[in-house]
Amino acid sequence: MNLRDPDSMNTVIGNVLRFGVVISAAVVVLGLARLASLSGSADTTSFLYYSASSVPHGNFPISLTALISGLRSFNPFSLIELGVIILIATPVTRVAISVFLFAAEKDDLYVLVTAIVLALLLFSMLVTPFIPIFHA
Amino acid sequence: MIVIEFLVILFFSSIFAGVFGSIVGLGGGVVIVPVLTLLLGVDIHFAIGASIVAIIGTSSGAASTYVKDKLTNLRVGMFLELATTSGAIAGAAIAAYVNSGALALVFGIILLIALAPTAMKLGEDIPKSPELKGLSKRLNLKGSYTEPDGRHIEYNATRPGAGLFGMVVAGMLSGLLGIGSGAFKVLSMDYAMKLPMKVSTTTSNFMIGVTAAASAGIYYARGDVNPLIVAPVAVGILIGAAIGARLLVKARNPTIRKIFAIVLALAAIEMILTSLGVAA
Repeated sequence: MNLRDPDSMNTVIGNVLRFGVVISAAVVVLGLARLASLSGSADTTSFLYYSASSVPHGNFPISLTALISGLRSFNPFSLIELGVIILIATPVTRVAISVFLFAAEKDDLYVLVTAIVLALLLFSMLVTPFIPIFHA
Repeated sequence: MIVIEFLVILFFSSIFAGVFGSIVGLGGGVVIVPVLTLLLGVDIHFAIGASIVAIIGTSSGAASTYVKDKLTNLRVGMFLELATTSGAIAGAAIAAYVNSGALALVFGIILLIALAPTAMKLGEDIPKSPELKGLSKRLNLKGSYTEPDGRHIEYNATRPGAGLFGMVVAGMLSGLLGIGSGAFKVLSMDYAMKLPMKVSTTTSNFMIGVTAAASAGIYYARGDVNPLIVAPVAVGILIGAAIGARLLVKARNPTIRKIFAIVLALAAIEMILTSLGVAA
């Protein structure tokens, strides 16, 4: 594929998005299947209830270490979370790859525009959760 | 078992949300939030966490088709994402100092008012394309696509500054209220920038995934993204978005505008009711 051809950008971005959603859906379905195979032994009804008194809420892992240990034991919720993280990462990957696609087209203005969007996006996703002012 | 029924209802509602969300460029949160809070009795925090996942799913799921068919204008989308991402960060930072109920009320009323110009343009197929000049020319904000009846449409965007301003507002609303604010994005591209309706809704659809991802970190860290709730949403919404994308490609612009007007009215009413404490 010739990346200098303006049409190739549509193909690459389209494929990145499709790949992301297909992998994400497959991992979530795997998690649901695992949940179904275990649900004879566990009642999951209580997992649907939100409790403001226990922060973070609920019975599921939200830290990376908890996620990894959950994945090792094939925990259904950890699998679903992995699928959701892949889904959230899909538009971010799309922005990151666009920086290189605009560079291949030698469109410096849009390399800059997309790089700023990527920086703002990563700041918002990864940094703001640790700044107290954002926890209204 | 209660949970099975819950998952099945949520799965089918998500397919429905994905179909309409991908056609009008709003992302499906408009459907998912009331289904979860009103029908299934789930807390609003979990509902917003699920809505974020629904928006990202609709966006990425449908955009893969729209981008390949060249309906989405990538440069318009990327340029405007500058405004939506910075607006989202600013909105999240000031959320503590803003009365979100009052804001939702104002936003709902603005959407209701926006129905009037939408209704007046209801039959419009392709807007008269303005000349490409000034900032639009420097930013290369033009494009072309093929209609299902074989017409090749070439268009230019106008007033990028006004579009950018609309997107800052849309981004701030996302950060403040935890919504995708696709309605505001479509309206900005449709009225300010004079893009064809299909280009507006598919470019909004392309952008809302980034806006939602920008706030996903905060909701995730708070524990609002509940795997049991988001699993059927993620799968259902992706199926719905794939169906919706195929429908949009074949649909005519006036049809899309009519569906948009209906969804806009519902979103406005939902926003107003939520702010008055009826829905949430």
